[in-house]
This record gives sequence, C-alpha cells and structure tokens, in this order.
Amino acid sequence: MRRRRNLVIGALLCVLFIAAALVSFVWTPFDVISLDIANKLKTPGGEHWFGTDHFGRDILSMIMVGARTSIAVALVAVGIGMVLGVPLGLFAAASRGTLLDELIMRGNDLIFAFPALLIAILITAVLGPSAVNAIIAIGIFNIPVFARLTRAAALSLWERDYILSARVAGKSKLRISAEHILPNLLNLLIVQGTIQFSLGVLAEAGLSYVGLGAQPPTPSWGRMLAESQTMFSFAPHLAIFPGLAIVFTVLGLNLFGDGLRDYFDPRLRHNRHDETPEAIVNDERVS
Amino acid sequence: MIRYLARRLLSLALTLLVASVVIFLIIEVVPGDTASLMLGVNADEETRLALREELGLDVSKPVRYFNWVSGMLTGDFGISYTYRTPVSEMIADRMMVSFPLALYALALSTLIAFPAGIIAATKRGSFSDVSIMGVTQLGVAIPNFWFAMILVTIFAIKLRWFSAGGFPGWEVGFFAGLKSLTLPAFALALPQASILARVMRSSLLDTLGEDFIRTARAKGLSARQALWGHALRNALIPVLTIIGLQFSFLLAGAIIIENIFFLPGLGRMIFQAITQRDLIVVESVVMLLVFAVVAVTFLVDVAYAVVDPRLRRRV
Amino acid sequence: MSLLTVQDLRVSIGGNSILTDIDLSVDAGKVLGIVGESGSGKSMTAYSIMRLLPDGSEMNGKVILDGTELTALSEEQMCRVRGRQIGMVFQEPMTALNPLHTIGDQIAETVKMHTKTGRSEARRITLDTLRRVELPPEEFPPSRYPHELSGGQRQRVVIAMAIALRPQLLIADEPTTALDVTTQAQLLNLLKRLVDDDQMGLVLISHDLAVIASTADDIAVMRNGVVVESGSTDEVFNHMQHPYTRELMKASAHVPEKLAPTAEIASPLLIVKDLVRDYKVPRKGFFDKVSYFRAVDQVSFTIHRGENVGLVGESGCGKSTLTRAILGLEDIQGGSVSLDGEFVIAKDAMSLSSRRKMQVVFQDPYGSFNPRHTVGRLVAEPLHALAIQPDRAAREKAVNAVLARVGLQTADSKKYIHEFSGGQRQRIAIARALINRPSLIILDEAVSALDVSIRAQILDLLVELAASDDIAYLFISHDLSVVRSFTERVMVMKDGRIVEEGETEKVFRSPEHPYTKSLIAAAPKTPSVAY
Repeated sequence: MRRRRNLVIGALLCVLFIAAALVSFVWTPFDVISLDIANKLKTPGGEHWFGTDHFGRDILSMIMVGARTSIAVALVAVGIGMVLGVPLGLFAAASRGTLLDELIMRGNDLIFAFPALLIAILITAVLGPSAVNAIIAIGIFNIPVFARLTRAAALSLWERDYILSARVAGKSKLRISAEHILPNLLNLLIVQGTIQFSLGVLAEAGLSYVGLGAQPPTPSWGRMLAESQTMFSFAPHLAIFPGLAIVFTVLGLNLFGDGLRDYFDPRLRHNRHDETPEAIVNDERVS
Repeated sequence: MIRYLARRLLSLALTLLVASVVIFLIIEVVPGDTASLMLGVNADEETRLALREELGLDVSKPVRYFNWVSGMLTGDFGISYTYRTPVSEMIADRMMVSFPLALYALALSTLIAFPAGIIAATKRGSFSDVSIMGVTQLGVAIPNFWFAMILVTIFAIKLRWFSAGGFPGWEVGFFAGLKSLTLPAFALALPQASILARVMRSSLLDTLGEDFIRTARAKGLSARQALWGHALRNALIPVLTIIGLQFSFLLAGAIIIENIFFLPGLGRMIFQAITQRDLIVVESVVMLLVFAVVAVTFLVDVAYAVVDPRLRRRV
Repeated sequence: MSLLTVQDLRVSIGGNSILTDIDLSVDAGKVLGIVGESGSGKSMTAYSIMRLLPDGSEMNGKVILDGTELTALSEEQMCRVRGRQIGMVFQEPMTALNPLHTIGDQIAETVKMHTKTGRSEARRITLDTLRRVELPPEEFPPSRYPHELSGGQRQRVVIAMAIALRPQLLIADEPTTALDVTTQAQLLNLLKRLVDDDQMGLVLISHDLAVIASTADDIAVMRNGVVVESGSTDEVFNHMQHPYTRELMKASAHVPEKLAPTAEIASPLLIVKDLVRDYKVPRKGFFDKVSYFRAVDQVSFTIHRGENVGLVGESGCGKSTLTRAILGLEDIQGGSVSLDGEFVIAKDAMSLSSRRKMQVVFQDPYGSFNPRHTVGRLVAEPLHALAIQPDRAAREKAVNAVLARVGLQTADSKKYIHEFSGGQRQRIAIARALINRPSLIILDEAVSALDVSIRAQILDLLVELAASDDIAYLFISHDLSVVRSFTERVMVMKDGRIVEEGETEKVFRSPEHPYTKSLIAAAPKTPSVAY
C-alpha cells in the first residue's frame, strides 16, 4: 500500500511541474523578461503569490519558465544517455568477452572518471557556458550509466533458457537482442530513466548556479538561487521558492521512480524491502 | 591478491593515460593564441614569441602533451598564464582546503549513515525506519548548494555559531580551520549521507535474508549476534562501492560549495581560471580531480580484497 | 519416552494455515523421514521445531524435546537450545556458509556460543569435528574459506557446525538434494553413522521417497500441511493406507509404457564423431601460456530414428556442453555432428533445415520462456527456422494443433506464461519443440524440476508422442531411476568422455566401468512394493 502511495504522490508532483512548464509557454502571471523596478522585492502575497525579485520580476512566473529549462535539459540529457548507452550495453552483452565488449566497457570506465561537473567545466572552458553545454555534459555522463545497467541486466538475460531456445530456432544475436532482451529490460530502463531525470534536474540546477548552465535572460532555478544569495538575509523568499521547486521536482521523480520499480517488480512488491543495493548503486552517480 | 590488485592498477593507469589525452585534446581545441590573449592586442611580436617560449607553447602539440604529462609526473604543472606562478604551488595551497573538506564530509556522511541505515534495517517497518527513510528521501532531493545557503542563514547569520564563509588557514590552528569547514562539510554530506544510509539499509536487509544467517541462527546465535557477527561485514561490500564513488563526488561537489563559503579551494580556483581563460590551470586541476577519482577507485578495490577472501585468491 | 514429540502443531502465516495438527515423534538413535512434494509443509515443520519461523507466523501446539517443552521457552532460552541440543542442516550448501569467515571459525562459533571453553579447547573440538564429518584437517585445514570447497564438502562443514556439540537431535532439510548421487550416498552414510555413534535423533526431510526409504526408521508422509500417513518404514511401505501415499509411490516408480521396439533396424539419425570442445582458461598472469580445459573429449555416438537414448553423468561431466555443441550453440574444436546425413556446423552457420529437425526442452520450467510473449508466440518461435514463413492463419493453426497434442486448450495461446503451473509449462515447452515436426528432441533434465506425480504424466506424454511422430530423444538426466525407466539405450559420461554405453537394462544390471558401478550403487532405490 505504501508503495502505491509513493507512485501516486510522485506522479502528482511530476505532473504539477510538467503542467507548470507547459502552461508557461502560453501564459504566465507576469512577464518574466521585462523589469518592473517599482515593484522590486515584494514579499509573497497579493498580486505576486511568491513575491518579486530585485528587478521586480514575478517569482512564480520565473519558476514556471524555469521548470521549462530544468525539464528540457534533464530530459534531453536522459535521452542522449539512453539512445547511446542502451545500444552500447546491448552490443557489449551480445558480444560478451570479445574485444568490442572490452572496448565499450573501458570507454565507460573512462567517462566515469569524469564527474558531470568536470565535463561541464571542460566544455565551458572551450565553448563558453550555455544550456546546450549543460545538456551535453549531463548527457555524456548518462551514457555509461545506461550502458552498464543495460549490459549487466542483458548478460543475466542471455543466460536464460528462452534465449537458448531462440538461438536453437536460428535467430541472430541482433534479432534476439531486439526481440527478447530489450523488451525485458524496458521496465528497468524506465525506472532508471526517471532517476537519471531527477539527477539531471539537480545537476542542471547546480551548473546554472555556478554559471555553467542556462544564461540570462533565460530563467533557471539554479541561477535564481545564485542571484538571491546575497539577499537571502532580508529577502529569503527569493531563495526559498526556487529551492522548494527543485526539492519537490526531484522528490517527485524519485518517489515516482521508486514506485515504478516496486510496481514493475513483483518480487519486491510482495516481499523483502524497497530497493536493492544494485539499484541504489546505479542511482547514485550524483554529480 | 597481488595479481588482482596489479591488474586493477594497470587498468586504472591506462584510464588515466587516456583521460589525460582527452583533456589535452579538448583544451587544445580552444581557438586563439594564449599569448596574444594574455598580452592584449597591442603587444609586439617579439614579446609575444618570448611569452610563448616561457609558457612552453612554442613546440608542436605532441611535444607539448608529452611535456605536460611528464611535468605532472615530476610535480611540475606548468606556469599559470594569469599569475605567472607555478601551477603546482597554486594547487598545493588549494588542495589543503579542498581535500580536508571532502574527507571531513565523507567522515560526517559515514558517521550519520551507518547508524541510521543499521537502525532502519533492524527495525524494519517501525516508526524509526519510516522516519529515517523519509528524511533520506528528502536529503537526496535537496540541492547541496541550497542547503548550504540555509545553513549559513541559520547558523552563521542568525545564531552566529559559525562564520558565513572564508578560511583562516591551518596555521591559525587546527580547530579554527576545522570549524570554518564544518558548515560546508555538512552541506556536502547531507545528500551523500542520505544515499549511504539507504544503501546500508537495503544491503543489510539483503544480507539478513541470506541462507548463512539462517545457519547462524540454527547454531544458537540470537538475531542480534547474527547481525553483528555475520551480516554486517557482508553488507559492507556494496556500501564500500558507494563510499568510493562518494569521495569523488564530494571532491567535485566541493567545487560548488567552496564558492558559497568563499573557501580558497580548487573549486574557486578553477572558476577564476575559466573566467580568466587560464587554460593550463583548468587542464591541470581537471586532471588532478580525475586522478583523485581513479585513485579512490583503486583504494576501494584494495578494500574489497581485504574484506572479501574470495577476491584474495582470485587471479 | 521419545526424544522429540510434536503434538497438535499448527502454524499459520498471515492468517493462511500452513500446518494443521502435526503429530510426530523421534527416538534417540533413530531416523524419522518426512517426505512430501513441494508445498507440503515439510520444511515449515522443521522451522517450527527450531522456532525459526518467518516473521508474521503464528504457532500453536507443543514441541517437547527430552522432557523440555520448547514451545514454552523464551527466545533467549531457545537460543541456548539451538546448536546445543538441536542442530540443523539446510538444502543449499553453496549459500549456507558465510563466505567471509573460515570454516574453522564457523565451526568454532558453535562451540564458543554455548560453552565457556578457551581458544585451544575450541580449536581441538573444531579439528575433532572436522574428522567426524570425514574432512581430515590435514587435507582441509580450518583456515579454508567456503569458496575453496566443493558442494559436498561444504555440506559436511554445515553438518560439522550442527553436530560440534553432539546435540541430541539433528534436523536435515533436503541435505542432499543439491548434490550428485555419489556425494549424496556418502553424505547419507555419514548422517547414519553419526546417528549411530552419538545415539542422536535425526529428522530427515526429503522429496525423494528413495532417499527416505533407504535411510529412515520411521516415515511421515506430508501433504498440504497435514501428515497423511506415518509409521515405521516397513509398515508404511508394505501396508499403505492413504491413497496419497499410494499415488506418490506409484508415481516415483512410474515406468512409462513403451511400445514394442520395431523389428526393422532403424536408420541412423544423429551421428556425433570425435567431438571436442575446449574452453580457454583465463590466464593467471600476463606471461602465462594460454591453457585449455577440455569439457568434451572425443565423444562419439549415434542415435537412430525413433530411438530413446539416455545420457547420465554428474555435474561438471560435460553433458550440458555436449548438448549445446550438438545444438550448434558452441564452437567446437574438433570432430563433427551430422543430423539426418547433413553436417551440422557450429554456431550461426548451422543450416536452418538442421535447426528445424532438432529441438530442445530445458529443465527449468520458469526460465525457459520469455515472460512478455504470449504462449502462442512462444510456441511459434521455432517456425523461424522454416524456409518459407507461414502466414498468420497457418501459424495459428500449427500452434493450436501442437497445444492440443500436449493436452492444452486453444484459448491458452492467448495467455502469458506466468498463468501456468510448472507441469503445464513443461507441456508448453514440449509443444514448442514439436511445432516443427522434429526428428530429434533433446530433453535436458526436462523432468528433473517436477514433482513425481507431474513427472509421471510428462513422461507418459513423451512416450506417446515418440510413438506417433517417430521422434528420437536424447534424454539427459542425473536421475538414474528415471533414465532406467524411460530409455532404451544409455550412455554414461565422466570428465568429458563417454565411459560406458549400452542397452539400458543391461548397463543397469551389469555395469562394466567402475564409475558406472559406483554411480548405480550410490543411487537410492525405491523399495518395490505391491500396490
């Protein structure tokens, strides 16, 4: 029962933020680009639910538009990781023990030696800061996460008798990977995707915070926090609302991911406990 | 065991080598001549060439790569384009802040996580388990830089227990230094402790379900004795992996946290270097951090071999 | 008075009744065998005696050991009974030992737990106990780790831990099920010897009637959490009262009715000639030479059309590798395999027509099917090997036809595999093997995971299909009694070689190779009884 509750709360939070991001395309309470110095640093309440910043911009509106940046960056980064990582993992598993497998795995080790922040720093040092660079940095970091997970899970599937049956029927390794292996990995990949998504939101916030992510005037949660830092003591609402937005988005995605995992995995649903160490190990590639 | 470690060492050395090539290539992509950038548009050709020679930029790229790597191996990281001082000296200074900060955070995270994870696992389903799990769920979701801002507001600005930032230097006194690192270390440790506690709990629960725990119970061990005598050491194996990973992430995470607390660490240095396009510094610090990650990976491998006899005799 | 008495034992977990009104007794120096199929509650009975039931279980009734009512003891007092007065041995020796502690430490732990002996005395007892379980410390020093021992040796260590303090009662839950027959025989002898030496009571739990019959003084037959019949071994076997016991007996000794062999000499179907399969052994150092392990060593044999050939051998003898090599799933380093006059070439190059003629049924009824495909799609998979792919209607027709032949419904083709029981899954596996009208089906331990009653039904089905479709079987099994009742010819494999081959009855009656002799001697025999 508790598991289903996780799923529902997580889904609700996710829907809330995705809706906020989508609505911001057509409508926000106030314009987020134009400045309104007369109304600067308003406390929450009245017209401005979450108050205004030092340029008089509406915080709620900025959070809505910021959700767009967060979601876009994290989603594309997860997409890059999946599109490149999953096939690499499948190839490595299908050619277990060969040079190809070895190359793919060593390549993964190499990327793993660079925390996402370092990749972002390197890219920024060369190309200058931008949201696209943040996507690339987080995306590159996601590749080995998915490649390793896919390979490990696929290897155990290759041991199954039904794969042998398919081989006895004369099917090629490529076809078996597509027909038998990948469909049985989907649940796992969706769960991991959700978790990488939440890590992506955190990473994007971190990169924007230090100025390596989205550049002004594009609103982003991380930069809102960075700009509010010096005013925290007298205008805490500037930092509290974007911070809570990050916390609730990440929390929602994590709860949703955990809930999905329990929902998909009957073994975990019926007995034992909530998560396996491997699952957390895979989750915790935090930058 | 020696063979196992030798193999790991070789593989990690190879990773480092390839990583150095990758870093060098990426930095070399940068357009523009560093010497002209540093001197401004009006500098005359002679000064420019002299500066290029001084910075070691007058040779071909493979030679420069070789000079860079062999220099690092002997502790010579080159000369900062901006400050004209040896990078190694700058790094050494900054390391004395970043490295203790990461260690401090790791110690905090472990100290918090172990008891929390063990309590949650042994009292599974109880109120303490549910609350510990709830707090860790939240801890994972809070960005550490935001948590740092809150800590500063409460403990530095309101309560005035700690200073809001800065670092007095170790020469002022060990505890003064430690005190100024306390808030940053807590900010860094919170998410890691949450993760570690969850891993500890889940790994312990897994181990408690193993057959050999049942065997131990059949020998007459109480549930508690079975936990301490048999389950804990086995449960530690996945936990070690996480601790290893965390040290690397703490080092990287410190880059951000140092900026909030105005700590003169590697993080502050690297951001200044990026703004000033002091690429040799960026290059060297990134390489150093990659080295730290790889070195910790190796230490975790050693720890595995110590904990697990199955690895000791393997190839 | 009995050493152990169990009275009116009832256990329920989460409100579901698991055991009902169990009454048992064990005398000192005697063996009580508890026999039953999976889910009969036999292991739960053992855990109840030990008071090691899973969380959320509720237990009523009395367990009395040597005048002490265990059910009235506190958990703390019970800890002093476990390991001291009652020892327990489990099924899975590979996971029953802590991988991080030496075997000596784990045996000594029992001693230290219950007595105040010093280190040297504990060590003396450990060495002594190792000797008692026939692991001479000279060969198996206590400093060894579990992973350095074989399954049988590990099980001896588990027994050593259980008997180190010479408990009055030993409970062994399927102690030999995971082991090979010869190892099983040695361990059963060891247990019997320990019972005699120490005048210990033994509760031996097994699904295998033959194991129980050859070891136990008294028997209790369990089904669905109830003891349906109990008494002395002779009594139970000779005057079976309960219909279930009769059924169980009949099923274990089941001999499928074979058709009279055809008079004409059948033509050869599968010819395996000098087959060799080497595995590369990982190099120990960078400069070591690459070495090889020969899993299959120059194996040659022939299977004729419609013939039923058995292949027996213990784990690691190479029979699985041989199967995979015949199926073209392994590279081979020498020799040849030909099917119906056509050479079967290794790996992906194997022709589809050969693939069509050769099918396989695996042991595990759970891992043999992709859980995401419908039964119809699963059964149709081998059609891939046909030169011309049939259209949808033809596929459906073929699937329905084979499902009907194995006794399943047309509607079953729309279902998923988790909706079927183990026995039904093996039927589906057989249907999948049949769909291409093969001439050879390899049965790789195909009935080993099934309960005896289900096993009997599947064997009958296989015999029926062979007769109607002229299918030859290569029947691979570690279970000698099934091989004996099912096959016409048998091959015995050891260390990658076939050491003996011949007509099944002849080989079983007068084995020639010493290994075959030891194998047959080790196999527990079901007593022959009048039904």
